[in-house]
Amino acid sequence: MARRPVRVPGGPQAFKYKTYTQTHPKPEFFVQRLCSNNRILLTLTLFLQVSATILAQTNQPVARKEGEPKILQLMVQLASEEEEEVIQAIKNLALTGDLRLENFFDLYRQGSVYLWEDAPEGILKIVVNEETVENDDFDELAPLVHPLTKKPVMIDGKQARPLIEDLTDISPGRKVRKIANSSKFLIRLASPNPKDRISGVKKTGDPPQNIDAIPSLQRIIKEDPDEKIQWTAKESLLLIRLAGVLPEQTAKDREAAIQELGNIKSLRALPRLQILLDTLNEAKEKPEGADAWTAAAKQSIKQIDKHETSVERFNNIFQGLSLGSVLILMALGLAITFGLMGVINMAHGELMMIGAYTAFEIQRAFGHNPDNPVDSYFFVAIPVSFAVAAMVGLIMEALVIRHLYRRPLESLLATWGIGLILIQLVRIRYGDNIGVNAPTWSLGGNEILQDVILPNGRLFIMLLCAACVGLVYFLMNKTPLGLRMRATMQNRDMASSLGVNTRNVDRCTFALGSGLAGVAGCAWTLIGGVTPDMGQNNFIVDSFLVVVTGGVGELAGVICSGLGIGLITKWVEPLRIGGFVVGAIWAKVILLAIIVGFIQFKPAGLFAPKGRLSDV
Amino acid sequence: MILESVRRMARQHSVSAMLVFGLVLIPVLYWIGAISIETVNMLGRYMCFAIVAVGLDLIWGYTGILSLCQAFFFSLGGYSMGMYLAHHGGAGGATDPTGRWEVPACLHVVSSKVGVEPLPWFWKPFYDLHWAVLLGLLIPGIVAALIGFVGFRSRVRGVYFAILTQAITVAAWLVFSMNNMKFCGTNGLTNFDKILGHPLSENYVKLALYLATVVSLGSTYFLCHYIVRSRLGRVLIAVRDDENTLRFSGYKPYMYKMFAFTVAAMLAGLGGILYAPQMGIFTPANMEASASILVVIWVAVGGRGSLSGAVLGALAINLLYNFLTSEHNFYLLQWKPDYWPIILGLLFIGVVLIFPNGLIHLWHRLNGQTSKDGNQS
Amino acid sequence: MNATKETRQGSMKEEYLEFSPDTNRLWDKKYLLHVQDITAVFDGFKALDVKALGIAHNELRVIIGPNGAGKTTLCDVISGKTQPTTGKVHFDKEEITHRKETDIALMGIGRKFQTPTVFDSLTTFENMELALPGHQKLWPNLWGKVTNKQKNKIHGILDRVNLLQQAETPAKYLSHGQRQWLAISVLILASPKLLLVDEPAAGLTDSETELTAQLLTELKGDHTLIVIEHDMDFVRQLNSTVTVLNEGKIMAEGPLEKVQKNKEVIEAYLGR
Repeated sequence: MARRPVRVPGGPQAFKYKTYTQTHPKPEFFVQRLCSNNRILLTLTLFLQVSATILAQTNQPVARKEGEPKILQLMVQLASEEEEEVIQAIKNLALTGDLRLENFFDLYRQGSVYLWEDAPEGILKIVVNEETVENDDFDELAPLVHPLTKKPVMIDGKQARPLIEDLTDISPGRKVRKIANSSKFLIRLASPNPKDRISGVKKTGDPPQNIDAIPSLQRIIKEDPDEKIQWTAKESLLLIRLAGVLPEQTAKDREAAIQELGNIKSLRALPRLQILLDTLNEAKEKPEGADAWTAAAKQSIKQIDKHETSVERFNNIFQGLSLGSVLILMALGLAITFGLMGVINMAHGELMMIGAYTAFEIQRAFGHNPDNPVDSYFFVAIPVSFAVAAMVGLIMEALVIRHLYRRPLESLLATWGIGLILIQLVRIRYGDNIGVNAPTWSLGGNEILQDVILPNGRLFIMLLCAACVGLVYFLMNKTPLGLRMRATMQNRDMASSLGVNTRNVDRCTFALGSGLAGVAGCAWTLIGGVTPDMGQNNFIVDSFLVVVTGGVGELAGVICSGLGIGLITKWVEPLRIGGFVVGAIWAKVILLAIIVGFIQFKPAGLFAPKGRLSDV
Repeated sequence: MILESVRRMARQHSVSAMLVFGLVLIPVLYWIGAISIETVNMLGRYMCFAIVAVGLDLIWGYTGILSLCQAFFFSLGGYSMGMYLAHHGGAGGATDPTGRWEVPACLHVVSSKVGVEPLPWFWKPFYDLHWAVLLGLLIPGIVAALIGFVGFRSRVRGVYFAILTQAITVAAWLVFSMNNMKFCGTNGLTNFDKILGHPLSENYVKLALYLATVVSLGSTYFLCHYIVRSRLGRVLIAVRDDENTLRFSGYKPYMYKMFAFTVAAMLAGLGGILYAPQMGIFTPANMEASASILVVIWVAVGGRGSLSGAVLGALAINLLYNFLTSEHNFYLLQWKPDYWPIILGLLFIGVVLIFPNGLIHLWHRLNGQTSKDGNQS
Repeated sequence: MNATKETRQGSMKEEYLEFSPDTNRLWDKKYLLHVQDITAVFDGFKALDVKALGIAHNELRVIIGPNGAGKTTLCDVISGKTQPTTGKVHFDKEEITHRKETDIALMGIGRKFQTPTVFDSLTTFENMELALPGHQKLWPNLWGKVTNKQKNKIHGILDRVNLLQQAETPAKYLSHGQRQWLAISVLILASPKLLLVDEPAAGLTDSETELTAQLLTELKGDHTLIVIEHDMDFVRQLNSTVTVLNEGKIMAEGPLEKVQKNKEVIEAYLGR
């Protein structure tokens, strides 16, 4: 797909987002695209991008440990008598990009940093002491801590506590203090970690705009390996110019900044420009160039607004697709048990819950937690969730469901009862709430277009959904088991007279449906909370609506209605009707009304089953 | 001989016997001090549920339509009455800016701007008890007629209708739980104090409410009994048996279904109206999806297609619930309230697999009488 | 009397080919039911393709044909259960093509299904009661009672089909034959202008078949009937005009003896 950023060398813009910015496709375009075969291709591309990002991130060094002696050396210069030398030291320290220095600079400004000239050999010269203690002789002692690690400075296995008189106070003067403060924000700019760097770059552009950062920003624009950071640095630089805080800044330069911000469609500039417009409007005396600024700002706001609308539209579509794939994943198993067996499985949500709890158990077995991530647990959790839910399904089938084939109303009641039992058993065992920590790779996002960030977890679910649909399709249409399932569904007596063991087929079908619920539950842990009654609260009604709207027994129906419901929900939710935002709950009500209206015309769903099955 | 005549009496006048039991025996027991007012109050509440169950039996047992939104209709009635009671609630209400209305206490607990916002318009009609009761019956009726119209006319039936009604219930529950809907959010309507000037905490008021419930239940029973014994009732059964054939005889099944559904909804509303003052609080939890399915299980356990079965089922399960949600020490088993949902779940499974005709069928069998209604599964 | 009917129907055969939408008035008087250019297509399969079929007032028409010939589909189209893909159905001077089943029933087309559909939980008497004409409205049913006259009428019909004994038995306890008769009795009681009787003799013993044939021929005088049947003996007993359907098309029409000699018909029946 041609939607990756394309670099245009030497142009006024750092990036050009070819497909998107030039054509502004309508939402239907994407739906069409994604519903067609291209969908799999697209998801695949996205998945590759995601994995590339993950790999790139893991290759980055987390912190430069070897830089420590250098930093400590630089620190000693802080004790210099010459103010110029001190300032230079501060600047050099900031350039090391060690985030621990942020804290150190604060301590330095507060005057908690001391020079310990008589320090024993091999012990630090620059130390930190925040509070003194008195010993029995009323001497004032200073327990020392390391300036970077904040661990106690140890001498002979004890914390060093020299007399306070032995330490030289190197607290800075007013000017140096100010520089130390502004340099604190520069540390992040030099950080080796892209995440810290980008947050630092963003900060420089926000008020109060940091003029001292300009050289660093310019360096980043030129040298930074990450295009996104380069772009953000450019944006921040423009924002500083927009603020008009530069010394000797011309009105023309400010106007150019305003125009440029519009050109690069900076979302961050939008509130700033608005404020600028307001102040210019209210100002009694117009500064020089005010009219040009106003015109430029209006133009830029227009441009950015347009961009924001399309970003929102794209986000809505993505969220709709994501919700749709969650719905499909939930409804897939249900469609199988309902469509093929005429069983309304109200315990489907509980089977999902079991899948989620299985993921929890697997996570525990792998010892995965946020501090010590073992990301591979999730790939084990998916098949195990399937297996566990399928097992529970088999037991349900053997004890209860097999008496209830083609008796949907009775099966509805009985499976609701099963659901109650499962919920309560889990609640007795696990209590009301557990925390499943999603694997770290699912937490990040992937910016595919300017300001359009796709969360990895959601992308993964979309992919998983496509995989499940594909597998089910393959299983139903290309394997002997699928043939037997379809035969049993269409004419049980005929199938059994042809030698199909319908009992086994029933078991397999129900286990498959249940297992898919387990997978859905496992996937849910990436994006939602896990409670014993999650099935009844969140899933069952929604997934039944998907099945009913799609038409029973048709895979295509489930996919279309799932995506349709997802897209409509996310389209309706942010709508504003005269100051009233629709929101999640009203969106649900509206959606229900749409579905009720829809079944006025198509009572049997989008893809109505044909023949005698239609009278359930 | 005597035993035989008692049996016959019980068979023929089982409902009258129940009425006598409810109207005479319970108050007498209370007056002589054998049971506490709390027990009477509890029985009253369970009889409200029985009214809902009779309604569901009309629509499900006789007409064959499984409705999963009876709890929603129940709550519409309950909210109507609850709003009346909240209007006349205890101290704490603030005067609204127009100065004509007092904003009920439970409403401005939730609302952030105390005393600034005027009383929402839809609270106003419920200031008067007559209107509250009338609307508590009419609103569920109208809502049901609407749902029935769109559902039955397009021939949504069976599980599809059940799922549709459940979805409606869930949506309504979400809406009523919203704070800015001015229905007091998830806290529900509280601070009930007086009904027609009589304090709800007084025993005589509780007894009177109980008696009103028994009379309502009796009237409900006889109304439904009349309906199912009329020609219309036979058409309802015909709808259950074979709706398509009925159409070829010139009937419009959707009209009959709408009728039964509307009556059932109004009865559920009546149950809610009587329930609110006896419970002393009314929250959106009353219309959760599970609450609606609970009504179904009352009817199923009691005996589908038998009005007395519905009453019996509602009372039996709720009494069982009352018993099993407190701690007990059986011989080997330390009973915990936690186990109740499991028993309930087993009841669901059992009523489907083992005794599909319910308790009343068992009772009839014990009396050597075959059920004439023909409970089919 | 039979002779006159024969000639009338003989001449009709030539006449109906001239029908066109413009000359609707011509046949309005003569035919109670007229089906024109009806096709019914299910998933690309043409189940029914009838150019024209007219049923005169008070006629008994038998439709025969092999399995899957479209006999029941034709009934479905007439009674409104299935919407035809193209074409028109006129009944009693009105077009009824896209009306609802209920409205068509109320206009006077009654139907007995292939498998006898009765209301299982209701007694035989109650089943009959539901069919009483003019009692389909909702509210009157709430307080309406069966009059003695209606009761006697019901009992009379039940007596005729030997079901009087079972009047108070729920229909689910009836035998197959009794259910067939109950379904027919219901139709007779409703007394519509046109009766669509789908396989009334299916699963009946010989003596039962004979009684059924008798009942239907009795009706012939003052009702219009369309009878769909497989059983040739039964058709012979009805002694009436026969239309042969095959693969959705009308293959032949006329008295049974004549039709039976038709080469195509023989081929259609035997050649399968």
